[in-house]
Amino acid sequence: MQGIVATSLIGISLGAQYALLALGFTLIFGILGVVNFAHGGFYVLGGYIAYSAISFLGMPYALAVITAALGTAALGYLFERFLLDRLIDDHLATLMLTLGLYMMISSGILITFGPQSPAFAFPLTGVLRAYGFYVPIENLVVLAVCVAGIVSIYALIYRTDFGRALRALADDRAVATAQGLRPKVLFPTAFALATGLAGLTGALVTPILSLAPHVGDPVLATSFLIVILGGLGSVGGATVAAFLVGMVEAFSAVYLGGSKGALALFVLVLIMLVVKPSGLFGQRARGA
Amino acid sequence: MSVTRRNLLISGAVFAAALAGASGAAMAADQELKIGVVGVLSGPAAQWGLALKGAVEFVAAEANRDGLIKIGGAPYRVSVVAIDSKYTAEGAAAAANTLAGQGVKFIIGAIGSPEMTGVKPIAKRNSMLVLGNSYAKDAIGSQWPLVFHVGPGPSGWADPIIKIAKQKFGMKSVMMVAPNDQGGTDIATVDADAYRKNGIPATEEYYQRGTTNFAPTVTRIMNAKPEAVDLASSPPGDVGIIVKQLRQAGFEGPIGRLGGPGYSEISRVAGGDAVLKDFYWYEPVVIDEKAQQIADDFKKLLGTERPENNLFFQWVSGARMVVKAIAQAGTISDTEKVAAALRTLPVTDPNLGSGHWIGKEFFGVNQELSFPFGVGMVTGGQLQPIVRVEAATGK
Repeated sequence: MQGIVATSLIGISLGAQYALLALGFTLIFGILGVVNFAHGGFYVLGGYIAYSAISFLGMPYALAVITAALGTAALGYLFERFLLDRLIDDHLATLMLTLGLYMMISSGILITFGPQSPAFAFPLTGVLRAYGFYVPIENLVVLAVCVAGIVSIYALIYRTDFGRALRALADDRAVATAQGLRPKVLFPTAFALATGLAGLTGALVTPILSLAPHVGDPVLATSFLIVILGGLGSVGGATVAAFLVGMVEAFSAVYLGGSKGALALFVLVLIMLVVKPSGLFGQRARGA
Repeated sequence: MSVTRRNLLISGAVFAAALAGASGAAMAADQELKIGVVGVLSGPAAQWGLALKGAVEFVAAEANRDGLIKIGGAPYRVSVVAIDSKYTAEGAAAAANTLAGQGVKFIIGAIGSPEMTGVKPIAKRNSMLVLGNSYAKDAIGSQWPLVFHVGPGPSGWADPIIKIAKQKFGMKSVMMVAPNDQGGTDIATVDADAYRKNGIPATEEYYQRGTTNFAPTVTRIMNAKPEAVDLASSPPGDVGIIVKQLRQAGFEGPIGRLGGPGYSEISRVAGGDAVLKDFYWYEPVVIDEKAQQIADDFKKLLGTERPENNLFFQWVSGARMVVKAIAQAGTISDTEKVAAALRTLPVTDPNLGSGHWIGKEFFGVNQELSFPFGVGMVTGGQLQPIVRVEAATGK
């Protein structure tokens, strides 16, 4: 029983991090119809912005995290507004643009900071131990911020006019535009929101794991897997799938081992694609 | 000024002489020995490839400074053609093919097992001499007579390091943890055998390469209750996270990494030497004053600092051996003759000391360079001086 609880704690922790990442990924697809291959790049960039803000500007960690979220959001806004927006309906072009941006971000970081991980530690250390369980304090803080982030995104999407406008655009852009909504303003803002989330996650998670130019690769793969499982474009699906993936990853890795654990996750996605190709909460394939 | 027939003839003669001179200069410039480098120059392992590239460029500059390569009395300039292998078999194979297309007959590198797997068939087909790394069980062998090993794999150095670690920490069981591909399993299994031969029962645990959060793996390790953990050839970033998460989980035993250098990055990612607590690892070269001289010469010759990774020194000693063999064989095209010269060269380096050719017992061929190496250790959270170990013999 103790093992199950301990593994569940790991699963919840992983799931919260994955959810914050996957929400941004699925938002961009759901609203803009763009598969953002640069998502992992924004995650890494968030980590490096926070690291630079602390190491070179002497900022406190909390302020560095906010700077990272705003910095990646600003870059995302500019990228969507001046590049992506011109080709927003050309899926192949947007795919190439985001892939190119990812390569530019990771190469730029590699050239600027080098291939090695820098010293980037979470400001709070220590482990809470009780009844045979242990939880690193840093994990608890990250979990709390992730949960707050997820709740905020839900409130923004489902409880504000801005969120209603985004959902209207996602539902039917032509009708929404005819009603007076302005994609030229809302699309870059939505993109910035998503990239800001990736940057926020990077700034939070890289100090408790590691920061290096390549750490965005598995992030992209995991985000992709989660949104496919949850249903491309579904905010609720991405959240549920993120925690499901976190749990499956934790339990399969602990009880089956690392290799079989990874296999279990892909088998799960494969079964889902066969049984329900649109994913857990996917309604239909998104129109062009 | 009128153009007379005489002026025209003189102009023509001067022009012809100039052309001939230029042609001669061009011919002289063509006297060139190209050495290929196949290494990972981008991505997470770029540091290893940059160390390799820097080492070969340094050895080429040394050879040019000393006029080392003379074929039939004519001086040859040594140049380096480096191609990114992207740390994949297909990337390395493509790089080797490109080099073969450029007429390159000597390859220094590749580094990892997948890359070497890609390079060897291309090199064999084109009669290229390869001095590679890779800790794979089939890194070299009788089926690849022109493939040499720049340094021993774990079959050469795991045993002496385990003896030192056992004496220091007295562990009675160990769990090997490594990525679940050839780059992980080939090293971890050899290390595990070496532990068992030293009376320490070893179990093996593999994780999916690309894992970023090792909390589940750490839980699995803790459930198995080993006295020590050895992270073998896990990348430095992974090692840093695993060590940190193991210590958070309450693991108090020693942690080894019998797979290569990378202490600085591991310590940074883990959170410092206090987190490493009791930690030991394989260091390919002991950086003493003589070895440091290479770094100073590098700056003088190439005008920049040497690459950070310590594998640089190992590649310098290996590349020097290849260049010496080419000079001794007196050919830049007959790689079999160069290989024969290389096999008979005494293993010695002006900066790193003397060693041996080994590999017969493990690989079936004596084509593995073995120089003195080091054992790094952190005990009680304090970094200790690197312990020098004499070159492995007879393996």
